[in-house]
Amino acid sequence: MELLIKNGAVFDPANGIAGDKTDISIKDGKIVDKVSSGAIVIDAGGRLVMPGGVDAHSHIAGAKVNVGRIMRPEDTRAGIKPRTKITRPYTGYTVPNVYAMGYRYAQMGYTTVFEAAQAIMKARHTHEELEEIPIIDKGALTLFGSNWPTMDYVREKNMDKLAAYVAWGLLASRGFGIKVVNPGGGEMWGFGKNVTGLDDVVPNFEVTPRDIIVSLMKVNEMLGLPHSVHLHCNNLGKPGNYKTTLASMELAKQVKPSKDRQVLHVTHVTFNCWGGTNWGDFESKADEIANYLNNSENVTTDMGQLIFGSATTMTADGPVQYANAKLLHAKWANGDVELEDASGVVPIFYVKQVSIHAIMWAMGLELALLTKDPYKVLLTTDHPNGGPFVNYPEVIALLMSNKKRQEEIKTLHEAVHKRTKIPGIERELGFNDIAIMTRAGSAKVLGLLDTKGHLGVGADADVSIYDIKPDQTDPSAEHAKIKSAFQSAAYTIKGGNVVVKDGQITATPMGRTFWVDASVPDEQKEIMMKDIRMKFKNYYSINLANYMVQDAYLTHPYVVRAGVIPVEVS
Amino acid sequence: MSNVITDALCPFCGCMCDDITVVVENNKIIEAKHACKIGAAKIMGHHRIKAPMMRKDKNADFKEVSYDEAINEAARMLANSKRPLMYGWASVLCEVHKKGILLAEELGAIIDNTATVCHGPSTLAVHEKGLPTSTLGQIKNRADVVVFWGSNPVHAHPRHMGRYSVFAKGFFSEKGRRGRKIIVVDVRKTETAGMADEYIQVQQGSDYLVISALRAILAGQAAVVPDTVGGVPKEQLVKLVDTLKAARFGAIFFGMGLTQSMSRYKNIDNAISLTTELNSFGKHVIMPMRGHYNVTGFGQVCAWETGYATAVDFARGAPYYNPGETAANDVLTRKETDAAMIIAGDAGAHFPANSVRHLAKIPVVQIDPYWNPTTEVANVVIPVAICGVEVEGTAYRMDGVSLRYRKMIEPTHPTDLEILEKITKRVIEIRGE
Amino acid sequence: MQTVAIKPKNGIKISAEAENISPDKFAGKSEKDIQSLEAWMGNQKTTLGELFTIKAEGTGAVADVKVVMEGDFSRVKRIGEGMTAGLVMIKGNVDMHLGAKMSGGKISVSGNVDSWAGREMKGGELIIEGNAGYYLGAGYRGETCGMRGGKITVLGSALDFLGEHMCGGEIIVKGNAGILAGLSNNGGKIVIEGSTSRPGSEMAKGTIIVGKVDEMMPVFKLEGTEAVDGVSYRKYTGDVIVNGKGVLYVKE
Repeated sequence: MELLIKNGAVFDPANGIAGDKTDISIKDGKIVDKVSSGAIVIDAGGRLVMPGGVDAHSHIAGAKVNVGRIMRPEDTRAGIKPRTKITRPYTGYTVPNVYAMGYRYAQMGYTTVFEAAQAIMKARHTHEELEEIPIIDKGALTLFGSNWPTMDYVREKNMDKLAAYVAWGLLASRGFGIKVVNPGGGEMWGFGKNVTGLDDVVPNFEVTPRDIIVSLMKVNEMLGLPHSVHLHCNNLGKPGNYKTTLASMELAKQVKPSKDRQVLHVTHVTFNCWGGTNWGDFESKADEIANYLNNSENVTTDMGQLIFGSATTMTADGPVQYANAKLLHAKWANGDVELEDASGVVPIFYVKQVSIHAIMWAMGLELALLTKDPYKVLLTTDHPNGGPFVNYPEVIALLMSNKKRQEEIKTLHEAVHKRTKIPGIERELGFNDIAIMTRAGSAKVLGLLDTKGHLGVGADADVSIYDIKPDQTDPSAEHAKIKSAFQSAAYTIKGGNVVVKDGQITATPMGRTFWVDASVPDEQKEIMMKDIRMKFKNYYSINLANYMVQDAYLTHPYVVRAGVIPVEVS
Repeated sequence: MSNVITDALCPFCGCMCDDITVVVENNKIIEAKHACKIGAAKIMGHHRIKAPMMRKDKNADFKEVSYDEAINEAARMLANSKRPLMYGWASVLCEVHKKGILLAEELGAIIDNTATVCHGPSTLAVHEKGLPTSTLGQIKNRADVVVFWGSNPVHAHPRHMGRYSVFAKGFFSEKGRRGRKIIVVDVRKTETAGMADEYIQVQQGSDYLVISALRAILAGQAAVVPDTVGGVPKEQLVKLVDTLKAARFGAIFFGMGLTQSMSRYKNIDNAISLTTELNSFGKHVIMPMRGHYNVTGFGQVCAWETGYATAVDFARGAPYYNPGETAANDVLTRKETDAAMIIAGDAGAHFPANSVRHLAKIPVVQIDPYWNPTTEVANVVIPVAICGVEVEGTAYRMDGVSLRYRKMIEPTHPTDLEILEKITKRVIEIRGE
Repeated sequence: MQTVAIKPKNGIKISAEAENISPDKFAGKSEKDIQSLEAWMGNQKTTLGELFTIKAEGTGAVADVKVVMEGDFSRVKRIGEGMTAGLVMIKGNVDMHLGAKMSGGKISVSGNVDSWAGREMKGGELIIEGNAGYYLGAGYRGETCGMRGGKITVLGSALDFLGEHMCGGEIIVKGNAGILAGLSNNGGKIVIEGSTSRPGSEMAKGTIIVGKVDEMMPVFKLEGTEAVDGVSYRKYTGDVIVNGKGVLYVKE
């Protein structure tokens, strides 16, 4: 099938196109040079055209997401829509069902989304859900930061074995990259304890979070993985944690990137740029993080923007979740995984008049507005931790309009004036910046810029058209229009299929699941597997033969090859 | 031809033992090594329903029919129903659950699983308090105090203690049983109680009070706790709290003694809070001892597809959930259900008499490999292959770890999946959509 | 003034969902418009006019709407859901979720009501002359708040979990209540003139006044005796587990 999008005001930052009237030709799911005269024509009529949205950090599938659903029927009932001839029912707000996940992302013009954390042992569950999420392409990052084999090899300083383990773990979990959450803390939470900084020693394993982060960055580059190490810093949720975050970012200097991208992605900075020493003198240090980013080239971040109202916090950071539950008197789910990591789920309600929440709201925005290069700060809400992803249009409008920010600030706790810099920041982002933070930048950070996040020839034909004419719109004044346009795409095209028209789902093709097949020399793998077999014989509660995610769970796989041995792409 | 399958999974209880070695000869399983007695019996199988059967009058004998006839009749009964119920789903794989939920949507049915008569109350408690838990391997490697509350693994989960909770040795628990304190709380001295270090006898229906007393003592409020609570002397409660507080890693496994006694889900609610509060001292987790191997899986699939774990009412096209209103027995005892499909679950044997009496009056389709009390109230019986033995696919262990069952032998009957797909197709045709 | 008279047409076996029976939905509408409002019976979409004989007279704002219902509504759910004003008078029994989420106006029932009456009620008044089912004035599954305001009076008795998660408002039961009344009370007032069992578990705030307690929760501190309206009560505070400031009065 051929498709021609005419008269669009195209923002395609990766190809240097910023609002030009450019035609986009689509054939067989790809962007091509030109199409035949028989192509179906979509007249964009001067409206905004961007590559399909790419989300590099969202919790869309797997054990903890489902725990969130099971413990929150009150959330499920908050987003109900009956089935139609085309769509299955939508449910939920912070923890939508699988169908609403796919539909709502597509309705916002997003076509690719990555689940930010899966334990290998529970990866089968992640893939069961990914398989049921319609339309979008997706993948999942795999947790490695507290795994016993990781810590053993870090202690032994055996990077070959660690690389072999990571490669095997990605295969076992059909994962896309290395996720590290509160390194070392996951193991310590096994006995209800935690690490308090980069240099605490994890008992019995005799390694520090610093060792774990650096070693995993090294093997990430040894293996030439598309994405970098994706880090949820230690001390998340504790006032003063910005120092730990900066110190973690410093570690990136020790490793050279193997590709044109960062060596470390520090995620959801809203939760790790906290100043102060307690809840009383709590303040934003997002400016310090932005300052660091402005003076370095090897670290990227995402916002984890806070959205007022209901959220569900979910993370492999088990101890922070217990602390949250106690602080909020909220229900608490914990889900530690043997030999691998921790996890917790706690509902929260962010309130404008609560000083801490108001300050946190400012943090994500400060980070994005004070960091000069939008490629270094991706737009996320750490769905559903800062708030549900359906609020991205709200975040876009806030970034594009100082007027909107000032209106919002008036409704917030006064602490936002004294403890953040947001009231004095006048910068307003443009459509090109937004296209970077939600498309080109996320694709680049993920290492997928060859086919995602741009509209050049050879890219996947993922395109969104929004009902807004950039040359006739002043986003600063007309922020409400911006928000509503991004909420409901005029068209979303996924792999060449029109999946959304006028904000409504028109088709629900199955998306693909991206995973990374990283090869290591056979003998290296075999040495590593001896240890793994011992772990299963003695410690795991299941057999090795039943551990790895089978092919049956990826009916539409997209394999990205990597590894210490260069492998021909078949 | 003899064939040996290793690392096979047992389709009996929520332990989902995955170390079974199965010996197959001529498409017959002749041995299931490592399995417990009940598991082995389940794997080896027994008398099957040979062919589909139908009858109009429930007092009449069944007549064997073709699969097409049975499927047509089942679809007709369900498509004409204004308040259909689809119940069961315990002994089938997640792939079947997905098809079932799709059919329930298509029909505007209520879909509910066997949890409603066992651990459904646990889910209601999770809505209130969450669930601090872990995988079973955490317990195997770390637990030094294990409490069985209203659960009797010796009987119901024979290999649980060996593999995960009592005798299992791990990284921090190399002494196994000797390094663990085992406590049983129950209304009667069960076999499990007999091998415990401590047995606490609670008066029937008093679990809720006892748990609250433990929580009060833990909160430093022992002074308000009466001398005896639920038949347990206060000193014994104080001692238990001391033991739990001193634990490095404590695990509470609860069973139907807790979920189905007075105060029902509130017992679990309370026990979850106790576990949460104990985490201020050491690490503590709590876990339901799920019965059927994949009763957990239905809750998982139903949650990600509909947002709700079970008892979902699709009557109005959008999922609605409210156990007490939308669970199988709620609509059966109110005589609202006007047609039912019972699949991989035995309502006839496990439902209250009122519900079964109503089932006896309405059109009932049964999909099951085996003849059971539900067959007695069925109009259409469709025999199927045995999931987890003849059909491969996914199930969730009691701790939420999903594993893939292997196909051990070739099926002699169509699978649940095929039957549900055909019924769904036929329902759509009948409704002219 | 607008009066709407509703009678059931035939015996309803499968519960009807009739959240459109509400002064808010009827106000200013003609008889025909009211009859064509949506209702559901099982998986069948229907109308109020199909299920009920409806006669409407006059017209008015929501506060001036009076709905008079006569007959057996024991299989009709969600009557008066979310109503903000006006009057619903029911002669007969009604099904679940009567007056759920209502914020104003008044509903009176001469007979019994099934479970979840006054669920998540915010204001207004609910008078039940017969008995109430489970979860009277309670919340929805998983929510932190049940009833937040308004008043529920039951002349008969109520079943278990009365006023669960109440965050405000008042429930008065002249008869008895089932177990765990006022569970997780967080600021509501509950009066049970008869008996109940295990009241006030996990209460953080609010007041529960009970005639007789069959079984006390072992989590209350006895503070002495106190007279309320001239009657002597044992006064307890708790639940100590949650460091609760709730007060439980039990008649001497």
